[in-house]
Amino acid sequence: MTLLSLPSRTDRDLYPALMSPQLCAKYPADHKAFVRIDVSLRVYWHTLFDICPELLELSGPDGMSIFRPFMAWAGEKKLAFDWSYYLWVYVWLRESPFKDRLLADGKYLRSIMGASAARWAVLDRGRNCGLVIGCADSTDFVVGWKCRSVRFGREIELIAPEEPLPAPPDIFGYFTLPTFELDIFPGWQSLAR
Amino acid sequence: MRLGFNFTLGDTYDMVQRLIAERHIDYCEFLIDNFFCVEPDELAKAFDCPIGLHIMYSKFLEADRPTLVDFAARLRDYIDALNPIYVSDHILHFTHEERAFFHLGEVDYSREYEFVRDKVLEWQELVGQRIHFENYLSIMDGGVEAPAFFERLMKETGAGVLFDASNAVCSNRNCGTPFEAWRNVIASARHFHVAGYRNSLIEPFISLDTHAEALAPDTLAFLEDFRSVFDKPGATMTYERDDQIEFDDVVADLKLLRNLFGESEEKRHDLAISA
Ligand SMILES: [Fe+2]
Repeated sequence: MTLLSLPSRTDRDLYPALMSPQLCAKYPADHKAFVRIDVSLRVYWHTLFDICPELLELSGPDGMSIFRPFMAWAGEKKLAFDWSYYLWVYVWLRESPFKDRLLADGKYLRSIMGASAARWAVLDRGRNCGLVIGCADSTDFVVGWKCRSVRFGREIELIAPEEPLPAPPDIFGYFTLPTFELDIFPGWQSLAR
Repeated sequence: MRLGFNFTLGDTYDMVQRLIAERHIDYCEFLIDNFFCVEPDELAKAFDCPIGLHIMYSKFLEADRPTLVDFAARLRDYIDALNPIYVSDHILHFTHEERAFFHLGEVDYSREYEFVRDKVLEWQELVGQRIHFENYLSIMDGGVEAPAFFERLMKETGAGVLFDASNAVCSNRNCGTPFEAWRNVIASARHFHVAGYRNSLIEPFISLDTHAEALAPDTLAFLEDFRSVFDKPGATMTYERDDQIEFDDVVADLKLLRNLFGESEEKRHDLAISA
């Protein structure tokens, strides 16, 4: 094992690197700290590509031509990596060389919006029951519902409204639902970073 | 030792019913904050067995007070409706500089002790009862400080430890924390977890609590060596499985645990009455 000049006594010494492929590269590959960081980065990778495998068609099978530059961009923007993780990937892709292929097929956007709605439904601990996500690139929207019965999990709905809602002012907008009814449109909120 | 199974989402509902009906388990552990939109009464009627409540995302080290007050109020409704055997939570960092970890961060046991102790006191006061905090799987060498940290925390806050035996096995493999160092913690703990783990994909290998495979031989050996320290009146051990959940595989592991610990006291009592 190579001697390491960077502190690595505890997880805490590695926190910034746990979400940064560039910082990871500063650790020697045969050191436990590198493996620890690699484990963390793999979870970000799998959270993206296991849930939205279509994206691998754009990037190639290892996903790295999306993953590495996206994570670097996310680091600069200090993205919170909350439920909106996937939506920010779309925002980045829209500015990337993948843009034309991304916009040519609606399946990427549907997968991304569904993934973010599901992540909210699984991880949010506020009192709201549902989350609606809309996108300026589509009139369809996606609703994520939290688990409402002991027998079922969260549910995701893709809705193609007969009367489209106004487009969100940014690429994405969202609003939350205080009950299990989709009966309000309080206007779109912009994504927080 | 009473044996239980972790119930995290609806997919395993029928399987848990069968585990209860066939008496492979004696209680069920809800990952309770996954069910905050399900009526407490519905949860109370879901399974005909005692219940433990395990909290995943209170984030009590990081959340602001109004958020914690609201979380505690909702949790309280479930505690009142379900009268759980125990309530447990995690001492972990979920974010760094407000950016979320997807693989959670261990606390620094020496530098953050006072901070954690004060938060634990505040959190128990808000929830209105004793909470059992789970030991995390350590990877880096600072993990050897975990046993002393938990001992001191119990003494100074009245909190309990939900001792995860396979996390201790992983810590032993990853950073050499001796099993013997946990003896006092295990002796004072009444609630336990156990699960499978696997190695990282790259070397030098580290062991990770994947909850997706069978119990490892070294986990079973650890339980066997410390059997009398684990087992005590009222003790519970939850078998955690979050992936690759096959009924027969789960039952095979539960049977190993049953053989190791024998029938639970409560069940022996039951049998005596019906005999
Ligand atoms: Fe556990």
